[in-house]
Amino acid sequence: MGDEGKITRRRALLAGGGTLAFGGTVAYIASRSGSSDGGYVPATSHTSDETSGFGVELAGRPIAGERDAPVDIYYWTDYLCPFCKEFERETFPEIGRNYVDTGDVRMVVLYYPNIGRYSMPAAIWGRCVWSQAADTEASAFWNWHSAAFGEQPNSGKDWADDETFAGVTERTDGVDLSAVETCREERGESIRESMDPNLGVAHDARIRGTPGFVIYNRESGAAVKALGAQPYENFADAIDQVLQS
Amino acid sequence: MSRTGGVAGRNWVRDLRDALVYPLTSNLRLLSAAVATVVTYAVLVLSSFPQFSIQVLTNDPTDIVYAVTALTREVYLSTGWLGIGLVAAYAVLTGVATINALALVRQARRTGASTIVGVLPGVLAAGCASCGAGVLGALGFVGAMAALPFDGNLLRLGGIALLLFFLGRAGDPQTCSIGGAGDA
Repeated sequence: MGDEGKITRRRALLAGGGTLAFGGTVAYIASRSGSSDGGYVPATSHTSDETSGFGVELAGRPIAGERDAPVDIYYWTDYLCPFCKEFERETFPEIGRNYVDTGDVRMVVLYYPNIGRYSMPAAIWGRCVWSQAADTEASAFWNWHSAAFGEQPNSGKDWADDETFAGVTERTDGVDLSAVETCREERGESIRESMDPNLGVAHDARIRGTPGFVIYNRESGAAVKALGAQPYENFADAIDQVLQS
Repeated sequence: MSRTGGVAGRNWVRDLRDALVYPLTSNLRLLSAAVATVVTYAVLVLSSFPQFSIQVLTNDPTDIVYAVTALTREVYLSTGWLGIGLVAAYAVLTGVATINALALVRQARRTGASTIVGVLPGVLAAGCASCGAGVLGALGFVGAMAALPFDGNLLRLGGIALLLFFLGRAGDPQTCSIGGAGDA
């Protein structure tokens, strides 16, 4: 009561310390992003021509993780989707390190073109890059994949076009731009048609946008759906639940 | 003329200093300023990508820490150290301005001051925190800030200058301003 209305040394120190702590916390959180700038590259990737127990066609789709992982995560995405970019930057690397690289989960990238007019061409770029890199240097695809999301500007303007994606492809080591262009020309239409069955699976699972996920136990058939860019902890809980069911 | 300007400048600097240290005059004011700072920071950062914030918070309101940290990184990556520093400074100044404005309003009510003009600068100081960096994002203009010069840093800087101007003009909320009319 005695020091009410006065500026005391204790309060001044408290305010100074608090301001420094606030600034330090903000700086720490912001600088943590530097580590994920390069994007996540899974330790192993593989191809498959099978249809999973959940009904997802795996042929031609990028798959991160071990072939015999007990849990599948089907990840519907769009290179034009800002929420997917958040997921890629904030959550995917942690899921990758803690579940995919340990052999517990394999992540299947499925395209769900829904944001803009270039969503479908962007998805075809993705499939063609994977078909070119899958058997020789799969890591090149994952580098390309995170670089493509990295092209999203914060302005939300119409940024996606042939030039942007050709630039990403050209800058990615291990990907041959001319081979990808040939794939787009010759197989673009068939790739477009091949997306329908897996989009049907997404609709049946009541996934209507991106990013959308189904976490599926390949042995027991247990499945959990997740929507949106959620924190890692939510995915970890869901994966643990599906692993044990 | 220059002498008058110099005196006015010195008074403004002294008033600004008095305004900035006002929250140090009681534990409750200091705590309230800290809470207002953190809340303002969260609102500013969340409004930088409102659709994402709404999606995360409607899904689970307890994920607010995740949303704030994810968007802190987003603001840093899009505007750099200067941008995130300005947002943090904005929040601290708004914390101080909010407490000062509340004190001014309370004082005006107690003394029965008929004029709202007396408290207006302080209230504006607190209010303009939302008119600068916040509202554009909150209105759903994703990227509106990024489309502005220097990725919106100019607007943030302008907001901070406005806050400092009004804080200096209002001065210590515990004292009555007599010389205020001089520059009115």
